[in-house]
Amino acid sequence: MLSDDLIERANQTVLGFDTQGAVALVEELISSGGDLLELMDRAYIPAIGEIGERFSCGQVFLPELIQAANVMKAVTEMVSRALPKEATRPAGAKFVIGTVEGDIHDIGKTLVVTLLEVHGFTVYDLGRDVSSKRLIAKAVEVDAGIIGTSALLSTTMEKQKELVQALTKPEYKGRFKTMVGGAPVTRRWAERIGADGYGENAHEAVVKAKELSGP
Amino acid sequence: MKGDKILTRMGDGERVWMAIEQAREDVALGSQDAGKKGNIAELCAEDQERLLAILAEPGRIVSVSPGEEVVVTDDGAALILCSGSTDGGSGLAIDRQPAILAYERTFAPDTVSTGIHDYSFKPVKAIMSNERQAYASTVLLTTAPLFYGSQPNLGLYFQPDGPHPNPAELLPKGDVQGARQSQEEAAAHLTRDMVFVGESLYEMGCEGLNFDTAGSAGDADFYAALMAIEQLKMSAPNMAIEVGMAGEFVLGMHGQIVYRGERLAGMFPHQQVKMAEAAGADIFGPAVNVNTSRSFAWNLARAVTFVKATVEAAGIPVHANVGMGVCGVPMCVETPIDCVTRTTKALVQIGKIDGL
Amino acid sequence: MPLAHIMAAGMGGIRTSGDLVAWMQMRRKMRIAEAKRYVAKNLGIDLIDLTNEEVMYQLRQDLGIGVVTGVPGDPEGIVAKCRIAQLLGISINSVDRFVSSLSFLKGSQ
Repeated sequence: MLSDDLIERANQTVLGFDTQGAVALVEELISSGGDLLELMDRAYIPAIGEIGERFSCGQVFLPELIQAANVMKAVTEMVSRALPKEATRPAGAKFVIGTVEGDIHDIGKTLVVTLLEVHGFTVYDLGRDVSSKRLIAKAVEVDAGIIGTSALLSTTMEKQKELVQALTKPEYKGRFKTMVGGAPVTRRWAERIGADGYGENAHEAVVKAKELSGP
Repeated sequence: MKGDKILTRMGDGERVWMAIEQAREDVALGSQDAGKKGNIAELCAEDQERLLAILAEPGRIVSVSPGEEVVVTDDGAALILCSGSTDGGSGLAIDRQPAILAYERTFAPDTVSTGIHDYSFKPVKAIMSNERQAYASTVLLTTAPLFYGSQPNLGLYFQPDGPHPNPAELLPKGDVQGARQSQEEAAAHLTRDMVFVGESLYEMGCEGLNFDTAGSAGDADFYAALMAIEQLKMSAPNMAIEVGMAGEFVLGMHGQIVYRGERLAGMFPHQQVKMAEAAGADIFGPAVNVNTSRSFAWNLARAVTFVKATVEAAGIPVHANVGMGVCGVPMCVETPIDCVTRTTKALVQIGKIDGL
Repeated sequence: MPLAHIMAAGMGGIRTSGDLVAWMQMRRKMRIAEAKRYVAKNLGIDLIDLTNEEVMYQLRQDLGIGVVTGVPGDPEGIVAKCRIAQLLGISINSVDRFVSSLSFLKGSQ
């Protein structure tokens, strides 16, 4: 078990937007053979969650949020490289994701991408303003297990429905699971349009993605 | 009521039968959340019980008592007669002017408004002569005050829609300084355009200008609006200015913009109103976000808590924004009148607003 | 949706005195209670009657400040607003400009 001191130091690298410090700390743990997953679960994931909470309260602003996300990105890449793939990656864990067409909001979606990667998913992030056609094409190309979409506007949520409907065509039927998220999106909406999963926040999205990718 | 349950809704409009005790708890939690986030006073026990009573009223619609009425200004409501579904409109094949006059005579709002369907200042600039003509002829026909409404919408000033480098591209590259500089330059550009539009309409007899959904692109967006208000109050003193906000706190897309010594990022409605007031605005419209996964009781209690604190802090009239997904009104295209009227009543009786 | 708000809590627009109270918020930044008191005083009515259709319809017609029904020949639009500006003792931009456009009439009668 990692010491509380180490966890606190790791936590502070995210809260202090210190990429160098975070990288050094992960390197130190890799050298000493420490538990990288424990480091992610106890330090980095709660820290980025805390940043998200502070952002939603207007205590942390976009430049800081992006700096913290950059710290997470650096750490995630190192941890992903260092961990034996079979140890973390759920079966069928290729995840294609994008913000729906007509919608350019992607802060929340980026957090989901980060957490999915941390948890071993291979994520194909198509960015924002992505058509259903592009999402499906990419999913076919990489033989993805899940297609996830984010929508921040009540007017663009319809695109999530459009994707789910497009996947009922015989050539796609049963081939991919779908997940939806975004500020106006609810579990009820997901059920109503026939999506397989919904995440109210990034953490919940990962839990659901793991469930959908399970044996 | 059915037994100890009330018929209410969730934040996305879903109808639910909720135990009165659950609704009571949600009211407390919603108010608590606003108190914690905004660092403001929660609703007292008496106010919470009043709110619960409004939620539990058996009627399909509710209303305030005679003598308690408030002013209802609108932000493009007349245009919903002729706009399409994505704007919540009826899509009638009529032009703006008949829509406004029909709205004034049949809906009987306290003010009416015009604007273009794009509803942003930047595109108005390009068709200014047309808008001057439209305003000048309509203002002769309305008896109620006629506002011109538009959104600052700073996003239109960034590439590819505008000339300034896009912070959304600069920030992920780590160019924080560049992103900030771009926002400052875009804000100055936006201020110039808003002042141009305001002064042009003023020459046509404009009675009121509504800066709707200010701060939608963050602190620089709000700053641009405040600067434009300041300048217009000097060059167009006989024109009322209303400023309505985009969200419950000012997003820190820049993070360091200061107006009159105060950092704008992270400001909640009770702080925003002081900025609007300092700039010279006549009416302020707070907006409180709705959480679609929480109950109407939770959302409304939260909204009333924020709005009450704003009204107490304000030195100018406060007109709460009560559109879809704002200040407690559920986030669904066809907003349910049971919730709309309960929102209105709670904001008037408990929030003590000056208008809507 | 606006109709629901208006019915639940609005002053009533030109059916009653809503436009007048709105003017006082717009021109003098008056809070709702002060604006109502000011308008009621200038109209010479009780506060409660500001939203009383039965009182306000007749009063608006008598004052020539526009009513919600179509009454051919009665003042409405800018003419009604000219009278409203005078009644409330405020300056209204559209009215000022309209009146100045009629300045050529001065002394013609």
